[in-house]
Amino acid sequence: MTATDVRPGPVAAAVAKAPHPRRRLRFLPAVLFLVLLAAAWQLMATLLDFVLVPGVPAIVTEMVDIVSDGSFLDQLGITVLRVGLGFALAFVVAVVVGIAMGRNEFARRFFEPAVLLGLTIPGLVWALLCVIWFGIDLVNPVAAVALSSAPALMLQIYQGTRSVDPDLLEMAHVYRFSRRVTLRKLWLPALAPSLFAGARLGLSLGWKVIVLVEVFGMSSGVGYQLNNAFAAQNVAAVLAWTLLFAIVMAILEYGILQGLEKRVSRWRKAVSV
Amino acid sequence: MRLEGIGKTFVDARSGTPQQVLADFSLTVEPGELVAVVGASGTGKTTLLHVVAGLVQPDTGTVETGDPRLGIVFQQPRLLDWLSVRENITLACHDGAKADEVLAAVGLTEYAGSYPTVLSGGQRQRVAVARAFAVEPDLLLLDEPFSALDELTARKLRLLLQDLWMQRPRTGLLVTHNPLEAALLADRVIVLAGRPARIAAEYRVDRERPRSAEDPHLFELHSQIVAAL
Repeated sequence: MTATDVRPGPVAAAVAKAPHPRRRLRFLPAVLFLVLLAAAWQLMATLLDFVLVPGVPAIVTEMVDIVSDGSFLDQLGITVLRVGLGFALAFVVAVVVGIAMGRNEFARRFFEPAVLLGLTIPGLVWALLCVIWFGIDLVNPVAAVALSSAPALMLQIYQGTRSVDPDLLEMAHVYRFSRRVTLRKLWLPALAPSLFAGARLGLSLGWKVIVLVEVFGMSSGVGYQLNNAFAAQNVAAVLAWTLLFAIVMAILEYGILQGLEKRVSRWRKAVSV
Repeated sequence: MRLEGIGKTFVDARSGTPQQVLADFSLTVEPGELVAVVGASGTGKTTLLHVVAGLVQPDTGTVETGDPRLGIVFQQPRLLDWLSVRENITLACHDGAKADEVLAAVGLTEYAGSYPTVLSGGQRQRVAVARAFAVEPDLLLLDEPFSALDELTARKLRLLLQDLWMQRPRTGLLVTHNPLEAALLADRVIVLAGRPARIAAEYRVDRERPRSAEDPHLFELHSQIVAAL
């Protein structure tokens, strides 16, 4: 969904109207891809017969071990907490700055260089700098995640703000909506599509950076475990941790974010009644 | 409500030439009076209304409205699509009972919990009218309220507005390009013409309410207004 898709246009109505394919059929292509990928990998591992390219059974065994000895949930919890805090910080700052940029010419010109710089600086640089500055403190991962995801969020929210209907703002002005009501009942719902698009982008950037931070400067978390596996040249463990992490991300994205978005935009569904 | 010596100049965005829409314009609306401002498009009717609503600052002159509570109906309903019809109204009037009452008055009780997106254009505009009355405004502003609707729906809504006005009289300013609408609803009709806009004609409408759109007297007045345009 693009940032400009704020108002319920005929497109949104048409999308809501489109009949869903049957549930099983919907997942079939994705499952097919994964099965083919696993098969191809296994074929490659068998043909190469090399210790650094473990087969699918070795990777699966490693995944089962990681999950069953309880270390996965512990390490994952630590990593998710860090990402969550950093992302929450970036989100709050980005909502304030993004709306300010959309509403005020000076604010836009003032923050524009920050956003452009932020978008170009690689997450790796933030990770390194934060490790140097904050060491093993919780501030380190939180700051790194916030710094690397905030610029993209700001851009999304700024663009969303520009597309909020000025007619509605006029209406709110004439009816003297309080600042709080205008923010909660007008700005946030109107910005919801941009906020969700931003949340996706921000979280995906956050995941990438947190692993780097944990590799370089932390003594816990998924990234740290990855680094351990790497140091032991245990490729199966590296792949197992990566896959498990990816599965959790997918659950967060499809289970939680999409569910939330459906809830928030349920009024769009009403169009097709 | 008194406007005194209002002047407003807009700069044309493309050519950069200043366009004086209003110059030394004065208008008084007495308490309890509904004044209609009629004029061809581009004569500054809407600018006038925006000045009164505080949406546009005049370059010169004073607006004496005594900081009234405003109710406004725009050409488009301007509802928040993600809130129910009832919430749209309570957001403006902060009073649930009041919202139910005005919804009943416009015949939309059964849609109170619906999202505006399921309503027809005419129904949505009825919600906008209900919202404007729900705030019990000191000044009711109507900016081409029915011109985006088909004629049959517009006709029904004009009569509905008349009913509401009789049940809960207010002070009002109606901006329209429809002379018959002005004659039907208003106590006084002002015809704007020229640039900057001046009052080309003024008519007092002394017919008792409820009025009928078929009233020959109103049709006569309508012809006079058309002639003055």
